[in-house]
Amino acid sequence: MITKRYLMGAAAASLMAIAGSAFAGEALDRVMSNNVLKVATDANWPPQSFVNENNEMDGFDVDVARAIAERLGVGIEFVTPDWGVITAGRWNGRWDISVGSMTPTKERATVLDFPAVYYYTPNSLGVHEDSTATTPSDLSGKVVGATEATTYYYYLDHSLVIDGQDINFQIDPGEIRSYPSTAPGLDDLRLGDGVRLDGIIAGFPPLVKAIEDGYPIKIVGDPLFYEPLTVAIDRGDKEFNDKLAEIIEAMHEDGTLTEISLKWFNHDFTKGY
Amino acid sequence: MAEPIIKMTGVSKWYGTFQALTDINFSVNQGDKIVVCGPSGSGKSTMIRTLNWLEAHQVGKIEVNGVELHAKMKNIDQVRMDVGMVFQHFNLFPHMTVLENLMAAPMWVRKVNRSDAEKTARTFLERVRIPEQADKYPGQLSGGQQQRVAIARSLCMNPKVMLFDEPTSALDPEMVSEVLETMIHLAREGMTMVCVTHEMGFAKAVADRVVFMDAGQIVEENDPHSFFDNPQHMRTQEFLSQILQH
Amino acid sequence: MLYADTVESETLVHKPSFVVGMLLIFTALFTLFDLTESLFGHLMRPVIGEPSEAGFLGSLSVGFLVGLLLTINVVAIGFVRFRIQVLIVWAELFILFMAFFYGFDLNFEFIRSKIWFMVSQGLVTTLYVSALSITLAAMVAIVGAVAKLSSNGFAYAIASFYTSFFRGLPLLMQVYLIYLGLPQLGYVIDAIPAGILALTLCYGAYMTEIFRAGIQSIPKGQWEASRSLGFGFGLTMKRIILPQAFPLIIPPTGNQFIAMLKDSSLVSIIGVWELMFLARTLGSKDYRHLEMLVTAALIYWAMSICLELIQSKIERHFRTKSH
Repeated sequence: MITKRYLMGAAAASLMAIAGSAFAGEALDRVMSNNVLKVATDANWPPQSFVNENNEMDGFDVDVARAIAERLGVGIEFVTPDWGVITAGRWNGRWDISVGSMTPTKERATVLDFPAVYYYTPNSLGVHEDSTATTPSDLSGKVVGATEATTYYYYLDHSLVIDGQDINFQIDPGEIRSYPSTAPGLDDLRLGDGVRLDGIIAGFPPLVKAIEDGYPIKIVGDPLFYEPLTVAIDRGDKEFNDKLAEIIEAMHEDGTLTEISLKWFNHDFTKGY
Repeated sequence: MAEPIIKMTGVSKWYGTFQALTDINFSVNQGDKIVVCGPSGSGKSTMIRTLNWLEAHQVGKIEVNGVELHAKMKNIDQVRMDVGMVFQHFNLFPHMTVLENLMAAPMWVRKVNRSDAEKTARTFLERVRIPEQADKYPGQLSGGQQQRVAIARSLCMNPKVMLFDEPTSALDPEMVSEVLETMIHLAREGMTMVCVTHEMGFAKAVADRVVFMDAGQIVEENDPHSFFDNPQHMRTQEFLSQILQH
Repeated sequence: MLYADTVESETLVHKPSFVVGMLLIFTALFTLFDLTESLFGHLMRPVIGEPSEAGFLGSLSVGFLVGLLLTINVVAIGFVRFRIQVLIVWAELFILFMAFFYGFDLNFEFIRSKIWFMVSQGLVTTLYVSALSITLAAMVAIVGAVAKLSSNGFAYAIASFYTSFFRGLPLLMQVYLIYLGLPQLGYVIDAIPAGILALTLCYGAYMTEIFRAGIQSIPKGQWEASRSLGFGFGLTMKRIILPQAFPLIIPPTGNQFIAMLKDSSLVSIIGVWELMFLARTLGSKDYRHLEMLVTAALIYWAMSICLELIQSKIERHFRTKSH
């Protein structure tokens, strides 16, 4: 099932790569004339984005998106397509922006523009609390999980490239198991050490959150890499890109982002490492 | 003499390479009652089914009410409206009541309004003597009753000619007579009829002419008196001796 | 029911050899599972002593007790009438099933706080997407079936190409193709319409075959009677053939609808907030996925049961109407 979904995602991505690109100014015009910012985000990625007690979208990314919309002076609307669909680009105006903690990779840059980095997450290795692993390299040769088409996954298959960072691939996994999101991977890990998974690569915040929620999981060693995370828009709209860059710059400077980060993570992740 | 209602000239028909009808020449005038008989496989059903073009012929000419039947014709429904057809297996519409069966074609084809259609339907049910069955479904009736409903259904369209394709062959013996009585009644009222049947009593009682077919051809055609008492052809004699034995 | 002989054979579960065999197998199974720590073990404390120190003999005696209870249960059920048997066995399986879920250590408070949203948002979306799709699919199927039965080469070719293509691809693939492919042709389609379109086309292809078989099963005599009364093709289809074909078409169509309710979960991948989507996402913040999955599973199941009941009612209606 996981493999099938992964293949489907790949098929979907290649399909989207066929044609199409936004015209300059089009997206910004659309946002301003509709008076609403349509934000694509994951509904399944707490604490960045999730469905809260009132069954509304909530989380760090959601708050950032709200702040952006506020500064644009427009309303906000959330849509929740699959992550693979968002990262594949060619949105055709279905939504205007992704505020989804996206890593600006070279592949994604061929279909998306990245106006600005708004925070950095440390990414870590999580294992079951019964695990004997003491350093990430202890997981070499084991079964390690990661969300498909993410930097976690690319870290495991050693294809990850992040501008300005020398990445030390400490784990050489025996098998990489891919998941549609972090949550099912954590559920597999909680079943026991090595039952389905020996470890999982995920963002530090969701791992901490899972541990707080009683998952029998612990984090091994220091973060494996820091990931700059950006908002993304469909490629080719310079005006929209510049406008967003300006807004996020301002949000960095006046402490808005720090405030939101402290609210959700108890850490300020907006300053880099 | 008026133009015949049905006229077949040199009609031949094949199923693949098998020739089902060979050079049929045959006509029916207003008021004629014609019985077609012959051994099974002789082509008599095929012939009667070409008369409203449920079967297509390939060679020759068939005219019904002055309209020639052929593959490119646009108004076959127009012709069929005026030609009533009664089938061996009744072919009533099982999802409709008896009354609805009778009203269907007048309402949807002739565009008669509902109350007139119902009035006509009830009149004809009266004529075939089963008015009390009007609200039943065909499956609740006996075979004989079903066939009488089928006759009434055709009559509701006020046809110029009625075709009967072995109307009593699928019936239990005790039900044959009620259907034949209905047909005799109809004949006496002057309906033009072509009947494929083995009921020789019926032929003697009402037929103006009897047509004997064998191997896709009309072998002999005569008035019933001559046909039964003095058959001309060997094959006719054989057929009659077989059929009259029992 | 299968063909029932007039001669009654001895009830299987009352044959001595079967009863003894059953008892042995159950005892062996439950001994292997070692139920000394369970409720039964604690109940048998007077016999086996402290459950945690009972050892093999302890687990054997608990296994024997549970096996015996189960065997008595089966033998007893063998004595009652068919309907009662069905009721009892259903009830017992259901209780076991619930106990199984209960064993997951679910947080019922959490389920209670989410269930209304799952029904009002998830179930409603699932139902209306499915209902709309099955209606449209039925329309597609009528046209498809007529085209497939037609002597027109174009119509036949288009219809058979359509059924072959949409029956030959996984539904998930079709959802992606429509959601992602159509915008490339300049037509941007939202998630819900894309989902409905994919379900319609896929199920329309399957139902084309159902409708075709239904139409074909109407005897030729019906066509002949209708045509000889002067009905045209369309009128014959509408008034004579389809009304008779529907009782044959409706039961398999009902099955398709029940299947569609579950397949409609595939549209969750394009972000439609239906039942499956909520099952995956509502629990994510509090890491309560299992709660939401079990809840959604029970909602799906309850919905299928309701629909099966409705379907059997409709079937009975058609069976009594036509004779």
